[in-house]
Amino acid sequence: MERKFWKNYQKDIPDNNYYYERSCIRQSFFPGSETTFLRIVGDVLGKQIEDDQNLHTCTGIGYHADVVPFETTQTIIARLFSLMSEKGYRNFVPSCVTSFGLLNEVVETWKHFPEELQQTRDFLKQATGREFEIPEYITHPCDIIYKFRKELKEKMRFQIVNQKTGEPLRVVEHIGCHYSKVFPQAVIGSAEFPQVLAGMVEEWGGQVIDYPERRHCCGFGFRHYLIMANRGYSIANSRKKFESMEPYHPDFIVTNCPGCTMFLDRWQYTIKEMEGKTYDKQGNGIPVLTYEEMTGLLLGFNPWDLGLQLHQISAEPLLDKIGIPYDKEQKYLGKSGKIIDFKGF
Amino acid sequence: MEKIIYTDIAVIGAGPTGIVAAYNLARLGYKVSLFEKEESLGGNILKTYKLFPNFQSSNELLQLFGEMIVVNNLSLQTGVTVTNIRKDNNHWISTTNKGETIVSKAVLMATGFKPFDAHYKEEYGYGIYNGVITSLEFEKMLKCGEIYGSNGITPEKIAILNCVGSRDAKVGNNYCSRVCCINAVKFGIEIKEILPKAEVYCFYMDLRMTGQFYEELYRKSQQEYGVNYIRGKISEASQTADNRIQLKAEDTLLRLPIKMTVDLLILMIGIEASESTKELSAQTGIMGEYGFAKSHSLLKADNHTIHPGLFIAGTCKRPFTYPETVADARAAVVEIQHYLENKT
Amino acid sequence: MIDYFERLSRDVRVKEGLKACMNCGICTAICPAAEFFPYNPKEICNILQTKDNKKIEALLKNETIWYCGQCMSCKARCPRENVPGMLISALRKLSQETGLFVESSKGRQQYAISKTIAESILKSGYCVHAENVKPELHPEQGTVWNWYYNNLEEIADRLGANYKKHGPGSLRLIGKKNLDEINAIFEVTGGKKFLETIHSYSTKKAQEMNLEIDDSLNSPYFIKTYTEDSDQ
Repeated sequence: MERKFWKNYQKDIPDNNYYYERSCIRQSFFPGSETTFLRIVGDVLGKQIEDDQNLHTCTGIGYHADVVPFETTQTIIARLFSLMSEKGYRNFVPSCVTSFGLLNEVVETWKHFPEELQQTRDFLKQATGREFEIPEYITHPCDIIYKFRKELKEKMRFQIVNQKTGEPLRVVEHIGCHYSKVFPQAVIGSAEFPQVLAGMVEEWGGQVIDYPERRHCCGFGFRHYLIMANRGYSIANSRKKFESMEPYHPDFIVTNCPGCTMFLDRWQYTIKEMEGKTYDKQGNGIPVLTYEEMTGLLLGFNPWDLGLQLHQISAEPLLDKIGIPYDKEQKYLGKSGKIIDFKGF
Repeated sequence: MEKIIYTDIAVIGAGPTGIVAAYNLARLGYKVSLFEKEESLGGNILKTYKLFPNFQSSNELLQLFGEMIVVNNLSLQTGVTVTNIRKDNNHWISTTNKGETIVSKAVLMATGFKPFDAHYKEEYGYGIYNGVITSLEFEKMLKCGEIYGSNGITPEKIAILNCVGSRDAKVGNNYCSRVCCINAVKFGIEIKEILPKAEVYCFYMDLRMTGQFYEELYRKSQQEYGVNYIRGKISEASQTADNRIQLKAEDTLLRLPIKMTVDLLILMIGIEASESTKELSAQTGIMGEYGFAKSHSLLKADNHTIHPGLFIAGTCKRPFTYPETVADARAAVVEIQHYLENKT
Repeated sequence: MIDYFERLSRDVRVKEGLKACMNCGICTAICPAAEFFPYNPKEICNILQTKDNKKIEALLKNETIWYCGQCMSCKARCPRENVPGMLISALRKLSQETGLFVESSKGRQQYAISKTIAESILKSGYCVHAENVKPELHPEQGTVWNWYYNNLEEIADRLGANYKKHGPGSLRLIGKKNLDEINAIFEVTGGKKFLETIHSYSTKKAQEMNLEIDDSLNSPYFIKTYTEDSDQ
């Protein structure tokens, strides 16, 4: 058995020709992040990335909430792979962390249980007449940004630094359980000290906070959030993380997983509403950014093109700290160019 | 210029096994050449303070070793690594990193073990958090007579964790290292003797008190010293804002997850085949599971290997306690004597 | 009695996830559900390795198996390479196939999940779609979500989405051919039958509980399973 120390966990990340699968949650809650990722990869790095309109859910949330059998999930994923093969790609890039974990799980299952692979091929053929190839690489978008973090740094207009003091900002990184814990060997820096977000933050001038509950789950829990009656589990787990990070005074939280981003943002709001408690000194809450938003901000993209207006915890105090200019008027602009009144909501 | 040494037996490794075997072979009148890769003899005993279960001082043993090696017929070379052994007709040829060639009638491998590298159990943050140390580092503290925690001050709460690198498929070691359970009991008592007010928590999966006086020592540590035992393996250690160590485990007897903050976490690191053991076993085709040297027959010829004239003893074979390894060394002496007298 | 263990042992998640538990508690120590609920992942391994169908039946009937949050933290740590989280998936599937899930209140919630998530997959190609996250059912989503939800197309499209329209982009309309194939896959692989099983046991249970149930998300049984807390 090969034994590696976390600093030596590396991973092969393809350097071009990506086939991008959007995430149900990312699209719904932070659509600007996916737009931003495509801009970074396509426009800034000049890579080929396919945004295929035919793609669809991997069923991940349905699978982990136990309403979709594993056979069905495997075959749906096989269809996604079939669409990829059709377009001539080999590098599957799922935006969602649950997809990333599940796709790896399915491919690993096929390696150990060839009969499951055969059954999936038969099911897909029978249902759709399709065939498929297993991707050469399953890469999460954060891996790609991490891989090109030095190239991106050269193009960046800002650093993760307090413009007034010149001090690095203090950053909590939250990696997402299904990115790091399902297949620790597929993670830069392993499950215990994943380096993918930490590597970006440190490369771009910030300081990563190592707090006791760093590895703890945000508390999505699938059925625990999806059912209104169960949401206490979800908020309790997020709260546990907030309380653990609070003494370190983080300037912001950067997240990998679409679900975690939303929960760490919304549960701060809920806790504030319920108890008046905020986890920063100013009473704003700790801003939560996706890694796409963080990268886009430092590259100088307009914060309102990134979608920061969709965060319940206002990002403006963070923009001020870094010294990123923004136009207050544009925050509430719609596609049609008119201001969509926020009052009353 | 190449130097050739002719001898009856080449003994590789001057830890307890090698020394006891070499000493007894020499007393039987055989010419023995003993090689030690380190500058000092004593092997892993050098890293300890007192031995379980009777708190025998390691220094006393080392002194005894020093006296044993002055016996007639025995020549010791330290700072010399045997890099290769091979059979040539009826002789064994060993070569060292100093360019020497040793021609002998028999070879005894006593190349011992190496402690598990705790860095590989990443969830305990060894090498990252000051408050997380290995059992060998704790022995050093005991030698100096001073125990200090993560903040450099006297700890009030100390946790000891068994099975670090043992019984763990995640690091590829499915076996039990045999010595850690009782060593942890010994630590509990040693801590309480130096720091009577400190709270000590020993985390374990099974306490294997198999040796003579072990169970009694375990009871004494609970009854007289107030050491706490929690049945459950620590799942992770992380550093708190005030630089202490937060632990998560399950008290499996109460069936409840527990969180505890301590000033010092001692990892009881297990036993692995040493690099020399692995290298020489691989060369001679006697490597068994987990890189340990494999004997010809566990129940019938446990000091023999598949090669006549190549013998093995001690922790190069598997984890042993000190009395066991010394007994094994003496057993090897008898087998070697039989071999040299053409009786087997 | 059904040989539950035999059925479980055919599930690939049990083949992969049940090795031999030595009760070290490393999984329970970091299990988010163990901290919050009367739940202990190592006991799932324990019960399964007894192969005792009575004990397994009790598991399938009671609240326990529904507590796991599927974070898979247990997978990363187990020194014997068991995966309690995967065993839970197999148990939950069996509980639904045998209809025992309706015996516990957490189990009955599967009806609400099937009506929301599974139907969303089949009808839209999304597990979750912004338009289904209704502010009145999601007060925690906050004022910003309320603003966004009421102006979804305007705001999402301003952020580069292609809200419910043909062509690529976030929140796009997923084309008919894709939806047809998704539905065909559910049909062929037993996904549809599985949902029908959930619905038919739920319907029976609703009648038993004197609660109306229909196809909508407003039926008293739906509302009960969506909002009712655990028995415990």
